Amino acid sequence: MFDLFKLELFKLRKKLRAWLGPILVFLLITISFPLTVELASDDLKNVFYSILWIASLLTVMVSVEGIFLEDYEDGTLENFSVANDSLFSMVLIKIFIYWLLIGIPISLLGTFFSVSMTGEMSSFYIALPSMLISTYIFINLFALGNSLSLNKGSVLGALITMPLLFPILILLGKIVLNANFGFEISNLLLLMLGVLLLIIVFIPFIISFIIRTHLE
Amino acid sequence: MLKKLYHQFASPKTYVVLVNKMYPYIFYFSLCIYTIALVWGLAYAPADYMQGNSFRIMYLHVPASFLSQSLYLVMAIAAAVFLVWKVKLAAYMIKSIAPIGALVTFIALVSGSIWGIPTWGTWWQWDARITSTLILFIMYLGLISLHGSFTNFEKADKFISVLVLVGFVNIPIIKKSVDWWSTLHQPASITLTNKPSIDPSMLYPLFFSMIGFSGLIICLVILSSKVQIFNREGNKSWVKDHV
Amino acid sequence: MLEVKNISFSINQNRLFQNLSFNLSKGQAIHVKGSNGSGKSSLLRILLGISSASKGEVIWDEEIGKVFLGHKNVLKNHLSVADNLHLHGLDVAHPEVRSILKDLNLDQKAELLVGNLSYGQQKKLALVRIFLNQSSVIILDEPCVGLDDQTRRLITTFLTTELGKNKSIIYTSHIPLELPSSEVIIGIL
Repeated sequence: MFDLFKLELFKLRKKLRAWLGPILVFLLITISFPLTVELASDDLKNVFYSILWIASLLTVMVSVEGIFLEDYEDGTLENFSVANDSLFSMVLIKIFIYWLLIGIPISLLGTFFSVSMTGEMSSFYIALPSMLISTYIFINLFALGNSLSLNKGSVLGALITMPLLFPILILLGKIVLNANFGFEISNLLLLMLGVLLLIIVFIPFIISFIIRTHLE
Repeated sequence: MLKKLYHQFASPKTYVVLVNKMYPYIFYFSLCIYTIALVWGLAYAPADYMQGNSFRIMYLHVPASFLSQSLYLVMAIAAAVFLVWKVKLAAYMIKSIAPIGALVTFIALVSGSIWGIPTWGTWWQWDARITSTLILFIMYLGLISLHGSFTNFEKADKFISVLVLVGFVNIPIIKKSVDWWSTLHQPASITLTNKPSIDPSMLYPLFFSMIGFSGLIICLVILSSKVQIFNREGNKSWVKDHV
Repeated sequence: MLEVKNISFSINQNRLFQNLSFNLSKGQAIHVKGSNGSGKSSLLRILLGISSASKGEVIWDEEIGKVFLGHKNVLKNHLSVADNLHLHGLDVAHPEVRSILKDLNLDQKAELLVGNLSYGQQKKLALVRIFLNQSSVIILDEPCVGLDDQTRRLITTFLTTELGKNKSIIYTSHIPLELPSSEVIIGIL
């Protein structure tokens, strides 16, 4: 399992544009935002969290597009399924590595920006956990959509994934609303963590089934 | 004996024979009921205290939105049946229901918009119920395009079943969304536990319209499923006798 | 080692083959023959467990390791030869790996990007994984396409040695490979 982890890490690490690109896109969005809106206004503080997780949503969407495509086309997935019964471990590790190289940096950047924008340390405790968890959830869901539309283009994948994001977006929206009003969000964060744990277990299993069906 | 029952119900041939026999009855029955409902509701039911006559679109809107969720439930059951027991008929049903589900959801959205204009002055609002129904519509579109993009039907069946089941998480959210948010869309007037908050003179035509409309949609589903079956089992010998 | 009983396979109602049965034992090679589109690749994929037959059974003994080379090379074009071998668990510095690369005329190209190699060179690189594999069963789908005679002889020699070590081979090839004890399965469609 650890060998697989090292291999997948090696693969993604070498593909600089796959992970550095999205991080830069996210950076671009979060930098342009305060540049185009008046810095001192109160409105900015209220809207900032929304911009943050919309930006992370879009960044993850763009970056997860090719998560299985290359390995499918060059036969790596096929080769793996010959040697192993289930693709579960590979999918799980791939998604984790995408989160490691894209999700975590984005969350750190976003937290840094939110602290600097709102000027309060409390936003650290709002932004960091919610972004860490939400990016991991998004990566899972977009991976699911992309596995269904493996060879059929990204438009289909986006169409499929969009409704699946819906529950998470509602939850995140509630978190943002509560954060803006200064209410307690820890219970919502725990809920999101629970969703994440469910997703971590089920989604790789579903994706493994889907990819095996593709390979047939 | 259970195995015999199972083989009977899982066979497309038995299904087609059964459905061909029942179709005329269902069709005419539903047509009658829905006509009664519409006549009663449109002409004889009293005008609403607050909304005037515009509420009458309810007789189209409520059955449509009820069906949009129920059809998804039927698809979800069919998806589970297909994935667990590999019954091909179940996959045909999913493929045939998806476009009709999209249709009724569309009717629900449009009739809801039309209802909204005179009543609340707006034809769209991003509130919970409306947004969730839009999401449901997009889900149906996703299912249709997913199946349509594959030439290998066996694979496409598996994919569409998986997607139906994964998307099923949205259904409780849609149903409950009206209770969680109190926004523009009015909360459910008819629940299982409480006495309905709607007047009987409007309630009865509503029930009739639900039954009638559902029946008509069932007829559409039957037609659509026959198309699917004949398409997929086209080269089997019994098909020629029943087309 | 392998028992195949009455398998049939169809795609979208088109039956490719039906009631196919054969056995494979240790030290035996099977050459799957048939015209284009007759289902040879599909048969290999069924034997590997990637696809499943519509009817019939494929029974492998216990946990038999299989290695497979099909039409896809399992190589990353944007990585170097050395990196690609690393992905397959092979170290370029290792003497065994070096000698195989030398035989295939690839040893000077260790740092080249695979995308810059020719078609035949990529195919040869894909074979390295097969040459160095320890699995009991080797399954090859058209291994000689695009390769020169020298490489073909190399492949034949390697496969013959493996047969001598009691390994089993199943392959499809339009180009004859002249392997001993090779049983021909004809008549897929």
